[in-house]
Amino acid sequence: MDESRGAMTFEEVRATLPQKYPFIFIDRVLELEAGKRIVCLKNVTGNEAFFSGHFPDFAVMPGALILEALAQATILLFKRSATEAPDPDSLFLFAGVKGRMLKPVFPGDQLRLEVTVEKLISTGALTQGVVTVDGETVVKAELSFGLAKRDSLKR
Amino acid sequence: MTEQEIQQEVTAIVAEVTEMDKDEIWEKRDANFFKELEVDSLLALEILAMIEKKFKIQIPEERLVDITCLTATIDLTRSILAESGRIEA
Repeated sequence: MDESRGAMTFEEVRATLPQKYPFIFIDRVLELEAGKRIVCLKNVTGNEAFFSGHFPDFAVMPGALILEALAQATILLFKRSATEAPDPDSLFLFAGVKGRMLKPVFPGDQLRLEVTVEKLISTGALTQGVVTVDGETVVKAELSFGLAKRDSLKR
Repeated sequence: MTEQEIQQEVTAIVAEVTEMDKDEIWEKRDANFFKELEVDSLLALEILAMIEKKFKIQIPEERLVDITCLTATIDLTRSILAESGRIEA
């Protein structure tokens, strides 16, 4: 097994993320420095459910889902950086994103997702994400997240 | 760093985050971010992070509540600069 600092298996990722099947876009955590950065892997297979619709005759991973993968990487980093357990009544929500999709992602690609903290507080985070495939940058984004109480989100 | 420089830099940051013109936000410098200018807590955090970067200072999380309007944000920046000995208190 990987002995890098903070590495996580898929089982640990699944137990930590609030998202569940079929909405987990992280396979493994390679490195994690609490409060600073995280590096994750996501293997994209032709068997992903979203490829049946995006697009029926040409499989390309939706950029929005790559941003979701960066958001999930940020959640893992946030949870592992917190000094106290987060309020179970709270949800970590994507609040803002400024990003660029530089290259399309296809079945067979391996995404390396690196998220670096710009500012982390107990109720939110500002981060920068870079996604590469074979060393080439495919997505770059600035992301912001807030912790919101479920009650405050009543529909 | 002069008082005027602090004022100008912070105004430029707040103008960028609130997507307002510098003159416009300066005119509304005492308007409450949350009640009058549609700034939410994450935009306030963004303002804080940009000030930290620009002035190379650390603003503790508990001071985030001081970011209530442009004037208060300038005051906060000035006081952190003074606390760290970068300007005269």
